[in-house]
Amino acid sequence: MVKEIERAGIPVVHMCTVTPISMTVGANRIVPTIAIPHPLGNPALSPEEEKTIRRKLVSRALEALSTEVEDQTIFEA
Amino acid sequence: MKLELGYIQMKDIQFSKECKVENGTLYVNPDQVIDFLYQDDDVKDWVKSFTLDIARPGESVRITPVKDVIEPRVKVEGPGGMFPGVIAKVDTVGSGKTHVLRGMAIVTAGKIVGFQEGIIDMTGPGADYTPFSKLLNLVVVAEPKDGYQDHKHEYEHAVRIAGLRAASFIGELGRNLTPDDTQSFETYGVKEGIEKLPNLPRVAYVHMLQSQGLLHDTYVYGVDAKRTLTTILNPTETMDGAILSGNCVSACDKNTTYHHQNNPVVAELFAAHGKTLNYVCNIITNENVYLADKQRSSDWTAKLCRLLDLDGAIVSQEGFGNPDTDLIMNTKKIEQQGVKTTIITDEYAGQDGKSQSLADAVVTGGNANQVIILPKLDKIIGMLDYVDVIAGGHAGSLREDGSIEAELQVITGATNEMGFNTLSAR
Repeated sequence: MVKEIERAGIPVVHMCTVTPISMTVGANRIVPTIAIPHPLGNPALSPEEEKTIRRKLVSRALEALSTEVEDQTIFEA
Repeated sequence: MKLELGYIQMKDIQFSKECKVENGTLYVNPDQVIDFLYQDDDVKDWVKSFTLDIARPGESVRITPVKDVIEPRVKVEGPGGMFPGVIAKVDTVGSGKTHVLRGMAIVTAGKIVGFQEGIIDMTGPGADYTPFSKLLNLVVVAEPKDGYQDHKHEYEHAVRIAGLRAASFIGELGRNLTPDDTQSFETYGVKEGIEKLPNLPRVAYVHMLQSQGLLHDTYVYGVDAKRTLTTILNPTETMDGAILSGNCVSACDKNTTYHHQNNPVVAELFAAHGKTLNYVCNIITNENVYLADKQRSSDWTAKLCRLLDLDGAIVSQEGFGNPDTDLIMNTKKIEQQGVKTTIITDEYAGQDGKSQSLADAVVTGGNANQVIILPKLDKIIGMLDYVDVIAGGHAGSLREDGSIEAELQVITGATNEMGFNTLSAR
């Protein structure tokens, strides 16, 4: 899906936990997330703490989206 | 470490007033077994009722939803007891003598997660796809107490404990019998092995354990595998129940406790041990859902392979999907240490079998997407409520005439990734 959307000229950030798979399938902008069953949250945290990490992840994704890349890039924290 | 297994060949199971094994027949009083299961507080808290039933090879019987399959065994000499850290105390097992009631199993069944349990047919085409159709099965069907839906982890634990208790209760009946056949298994310490078998390649078994959580779990000496670091076991420890299944996951390629007790990779490596190779040990490693865990565990697997100066490693996977990542990470990193690898997995290659496979050099346990028709059978042990939603089934899987159309995924043990079953490909 990432590749098809990009083929249509729209840049994509792939937010995912297992970044090696994302690299293999050819995503260009990759943001690592929390865990496979809960990529954008963490049930072990309080709702306030969860909101903080979600905001951080989305901010990082938006930043990645507006960053020019030459090669496949993982945007680590 | 050396272990002797004494096999007691079972020929029949009968309900009876007393519990004993005589001339290869297991006589069981269901009430006595059920009383024993309820002596555990967690079982008492979560299980409303148990029903015991018998399924023999060739009978027109379908068992579903199947949770686990367990072989009854008892430790007769040496430290520790069966299922250490869970049923017996946590002493290290794998030495001395163990009696095995061969040719039979305890099967736990009943609703837990529903869509993630399996089917065992005792006759017909379905029976050809599961090794458990060839066993005399004592089936323990558990019925949960109301409100279990919000406490599935506690309920799964209770049913897991009930199955293991039933297996140790029945295994205990074989304590004072004379085995029909015995077999010894021994691996050596690192230096001892090099001295005794100086010219043979050093090979270990990298045994990947399902540990994704959310009821996809395996236990090692009572420890949840997702909280373990990659470590080493003597292969004989697995024969004494050191590794247990706590898995509610696709039936075809989950490793039941029976698979762990009778691991075919362990058996084959022992058969070649001292002849064509030196079987060094088992390395157990998990399949967690955090990338950092995958990195750490696979790094440690490769590190241990190097520390042990291995020449080769056999890697087996459990389950599919993201554990494929663990499999490839392990294999790549082990190979980077100069250790040759072969992997055992299965395939989800589509119903036509045409989709791409995982790697170039693999041993496959078969294609889990293959479609199969299971005719109606006379007797159901358990219930058919979940056939439409079971992983590998679809809406309409259970047809009006009582037959089932589904993918091989639904059959317990069909595409086992230790190579326990007979399916493969060339």
